[in-house]
Amino acid sequence: MTLLRARALSGGYGRDTIVHEVDFQVSAGECVALMGPNGAGKSTLLRLLAGILPVRSGVVELDGQPLAAWRRRDVARTVGFVPQLVNLAFPVTVHELVEQGRAPHLGPWRPPTRRDHEIVDAAIARVGLAARRQASVASLSGGERQRVLLARALASEPRLLLLDEPAAALDIRHQLDLVEIVRTLAGSGVGIVLIAHDWQLALRVADRLVVIHHGRVWAAGAAGEILSARLFREVFGVEAEFLNGPDGLPVVVPRLTLGDAGLDPAAAL
Amino acid sequence: MRRGADALLVAALVGAVLAALLWGGSALSGSDVLRVLAGGGPPEARTIVFGLRLPRIVLALLVGASLALAGAALQALLSNPLADPFLLGISGGGAAASTLAVVLLPPLAIALVPAAALAGAALATAMVWWLARGPLGPSPTRMILAGVAVNAATSAVILAVLAMASSPRLPGALAVTMGSFASASTEAVAWLVPYILLPAALLLHHGRDLGLLATGEESAAALGVDVGVVRRRVFLAAAMLCAGAVAFAGVIGFVGLVTPHICRLVFGQQPRRVLPRAALAGAALTVLGDLVARRALAPVELPVGVVTAVLGVPFFVVLLRRSS
Repeated sequence: MTLLRARALSGGYGRDTIVHEVDFQVSAGECVALMGPNGAGKSTLLRLLAGILPVRSGVVELDGQPLAAWRRRDVARTVGFVPQLVNLAFPVTVHELVEQGRAPHLGPWRPPTRRDHEIVDAAIARVGLAARRQASVASLSGGERQRVLLARALASEPRLLLLDEPAAALDIRHQLDLVEIVRTLAGSGVGIVLIAHDWQLALRVADRLVVIHHGRVWAAGAAGEILSARLFREVFGVEAEFLNGPDGLPVVVPRLTLGDAGLDPAAAL
Repeated sequence: MRRGADALLVAALVGAVLAALLWGGSALSGSDVLRVLAGGGPPEARTIVFGLRLPRIVLALLVGASLALAGAALQALLSNPLADPFLLGISGGGAAASTLAVVLLPPLAIALVPAAALAGAALATAMVWWLARGPLGPSPTRMILAGVAVNAATSAVILAVLAMASSPRLPGALAVTMGSFASASTEAVAWLVPYILLPAALLLHHGRDLGLLATGEESAAALGVDVGVVRRRVFLAAAMLCAGAVAFAGVIGFVGLVTPHICRLVFGQQPRRVLPRAALAGAALTVLGDLVARRALAPVELPVGVVTAVLGVPFFVVLLRRSS
């Protein structure tokens, strides 16, 4: 069942259009990884899909209804968005920040109930921060902050989860935890879109990969369909080879180019 | 512990009101006041209590609550703990227009001074909004910079007006810039109550949204906040509250800046919890400030802005040292 579908989606900031005519969809229980070089438009696409950046042209449909027809709060109950970082001008505790995830369910006046508190505590435990529950978020490391933001989105109990580089600051243990959390959520029917730069992580966690280049979809499909030397040469400007990993997944091995051969991707074409 | 703090807050408010009722400027004994409150007492005592003291106290309550509520809301809205009605030039706009009106209007039209203050505050608000507009709407940083610019302009206007004021008009103009509840009346209270009701309710309604906005607009939007609408409403509501306060009491500093800080220290960071308590604490602080202003150097009456600043500055310095 298609949860979210974008057709001919374009958008950007000010006069700049970053994302051009992107077609995209994600189904319930599916995990899609957005891959691509820095500045390709992945985060912009994710914001357009979340409805927090106005669409310039094209349409995003959630449950078959255009996002524009949804109330902002109903979108927030359905779609969880995990930004890379948040503003911490005022010191908040882990618990307070994660409790924000309940806001779309509470509205302006209703105080959190016991059930809300249980959901918040479960989300904090899920990302392994139960011991830091009352710690100030400002005192946490970058990786711990990312996990707090993941917990906040989990506390919203969304049917679709959008994650902007959720693994960027995570150590290897917590990267694996992230993979497990995402796979469990997908198993329970939650749709997931995440941005990643680590191919090993993406291949582990995602059912489908979508490669974004210059704001357009360059390739989309399962790993076996899209992994190619040409992809890495044309999109990332690197020469890469592929090995068979011990778990059956391909391992991407970029070639170190210490000499002048690889420094100019255009020349390599 | 927080419930105890709530009780303490209410007790402080009630205590401040009682103290202000009992220790007025005139030679009215405490027992006279109590008899008046019980429904009896001599007629002249009734006039003093109901005609002079009570309106003044209620006005101080309303103004203090408005300033503190506006300050707490603006600090959350702009994700900046130093934001307050003054930093944003709103109070300055109201004060500039008030002093102009006091100096220029014929004596019979002096009742129009609050209207001038409202207009001046509205103009300053519109200017800040206009200066801060960007491709994605007014950003918090741009709003603060615009506020500083507008504030500088209004200070210049006030100083020019004071320099040119004729001597009979000067005390009135000075009273505006120093803040005073001396002109309190039942009519002023009757005007102010309905006027602040809507903006105050609006700010309290958006308390949870403000908590989400304090962590950034993208993050807030993702959690269901209609960022543009909330930002517009909160800014305008806060501006309305400041304008009303300046219109009836002149410029009273530090209540809007310091009260929210005290409340956050005691009640936590969430605007949903802080906003209503800041209103109560601001009311209590202002009533107390006015009491001190009247009694400290009696029969001379200090400007209430001086007292709130004397109470506020040391606290602010300590706060700054602790946060750095």
